[in-house]
Amino acid sequence: MVSKELVLTNAQGFHMRPASVFATAMGKYSCDVTIKFNGNQYNAKSLLNIIAACIKCGSEIEVICDGADENEALAEAVQLIESGLGE
Amino acid sequence: MLHGTAASEGIGIGKVMLIEEHSLEYTPRTVTDTEAESQRFKAAVDAFCYNTEKQAENLRSSAGEKEAEILAGHIQIIRDPYLSGEIEKLIADGQCAESALEHMCDMFIAMFSAADDELTKQRAADVRDIKSGVLGILLGVNEVKVSDAPKGTVLVAKELTPSVTAGIVKENIAGIITETGGTTSHSAILARALEIPAVLSVEGVASSLKNGDTVVVDGSEGAVIVNPDDNTVAEYSKKRDAFLAERKELENYRGRETKSASGEAYELFCNIGKPEDAVKAVDADGEGVGLFRTEFLFMDRTSIPTEDEQFEAYKKAALILKGKSLIIRTLDIGGDKDIPYLGLEKEENPFMGFRAIRYCLKNRELFKSQIKAILRASAFGDIKIMFPLITTMDELREGKKLVAECKADLRNMGINFNENIQVGVMVETASAAVIADMLAKEADFFSIGTNDLTGYTMACDRGNNDVSYLYSPLQPSVLRMIKRTIECGVQNGISVGMCGEAAANKLMIPLLISFGLTEFSVSAPSVLNVRKIISTWTKEEADKVTAKVLEMSTQQEIVEYLKSVV
Repeated sequence: MVSKELVLTNAQGFHMRPASVFATAMGKYSCDVTIKFNGNQYNAKSLLNIIAACIKCGSEIEVICDGADENEALAEAVQLIESGLGE
Repeated sequence: MLHGTAASEGIGIGKVMLIEEHSLEYTPRTVTDTEAESQRFKAAVDAFCYNTEKQAENLRSSAGEKEAEILAGHIQIIRDPYLSGEIEKLIADGQCAESALEHMCDMFIAMFSAADDELTKQRAADVRDIKSGVLGILLGVNEVKVSDAPKGTVLVAKELTPSVTAGIVKENIAGIITETGGTTSHSAILARALEIPAVLSVEGVASSLKNGDTVVVDGSEGAVIVNPDDNTVAEYSKKRDAFLAERKELENYRGRETKSASGEAYELFCNIGKPEDAVKAVDADGEGVGLFRTEFLFMDRTSIPTEDEQFEAYKKAALILKGKSLIIRTLDIGGDKDIPYLGLEKEENPFMGFRAIRYCLKNRELFKSQIKAILRASAFGDIKIMFPLITTMDELREGKKLVAECKADLRNMGINFNENIQVGVMVETASAAVIADMLAKEADFFSIGTNDLTGYTMACDRGNNDVSYLYSPLQPSVLRMIKRTIECGVQNGISVGMCGEAAANKLMIPLLISFGLTEFSVSAPSVLNVRKIISTWTKEEADKVTAKVLEMSTQQEIVEYLKSVV
């Protein structure tokens, strides 16, 4: 299992578009991908779960990847969030 | 005549087509062949995605990429691995596809509806729409084929779902009438994008109109006329033709820079009263917001909005404007705008009394929470602060001191904001115009509020029929106030805008160009027209006209002369 703490910097937070970009990207990996936010865990391959988490700009989150391709998945997750999720 | 919300401008005349909601009721069953049930669910989802993809394509060409994206989002939601996984699990436990789908969708609808932010709440409507769509397929209920509507159809519904609106063929739909929805609802945005006249929130309309009724939809006034007589039809046909001709001509000015005929560039902004109105400003091709009135945040409630609530509202507007200018006017309370819970005392003469900046400087906690909210929002866009009703240098200095204090507080708390935020003066009193030379040295910008400036300069209440003849920004005295304010700003190198109604007045525009105004802030529907008027004047012509006007001694003379040259 690998994980990294990050701050969400895109202005809109995890709304429809950014959440969809993220969930689609994570869907390619076989490992489990989880977002930890405010003490709760959300399935990061699910657009609906990410939106339901209501994560706003400036929030601290932790991305946890667990499975065979966890390193690749985490690297892409970090890259996506740091680059502003295509906003 | 029926009345509703004017949601999309224009006039449509046509025959009613009712979009009835089909019953999506079913009796939940226990299934034994869970594999077959799972296949049935998968097939329904595939059919839903196929239809939706087709609708999105249709919408992409008729209304544009942004509208199509909402539907494309529906496919992503129903394909969400968590959602479909959970539904499959319920089916494997023996639930029928209908109830499994409904159970999971309702869970997300409840979750999204309970969220405290508007964008997440809107997703609940998407999930609801998807649920009805897939349920309809599972139950074999067909939606009305809006795409088959003949030319001259007026769509009437309780509510238009994105999947219904997606079938609209622009050329065939003359108008839209619904029972729910406001100017920022999805139906309204779509109707405007498709340029279909729409009147929303017309009570009981879906049950009172019948298929085939002839109706006039006046989307400019928010009126619906049922089974009009021949004269009415003729009158509205004329109005419609005039509207279409004007719209076509003005559309030529969309996306263009705002420039005079001799090439001077101007900023052309909009006035708004709510954060969501920023959408209208952008839709109208406004280049920013020159006046965001903040009173709405304090009205229709029982207590002062918190700093966080205000911050969210200002930030929302800033995000919609995506880096375009946003001038936020601090609370302009008192005068004719009362807020009961603030406990303002009744005054003999409220317009001369305890209002706007005067009230705010005496109620510092309230004022500071607003300033901090604006400062925090300034991290998300090009925000400027404007103080209303300034009459003395002390007020400007005192206000700026409070801004500096708020900045220090935020800095200590490590909160981001724009350190170089501009602080400007709304010039709307005779006093401010007279000391504009001094104010211009300490303000970062001016914006002239011609409504109050005219009233205060002429000492005249425009609501009083006995004296309203005095009320005109084209009075020689008011023109001199405006001229002085603009010239003092220009001499001190600060920008000078105008956010009063006069900025959109075609008689006024050549004078403003000549005086050196740099920014016009008008209501959203006026943007293209003002851009067109500005483009017809050269600086030289405007100077000539203005020189003549300044020699004239009565308002009547000025108006007659200007009417003869514009």
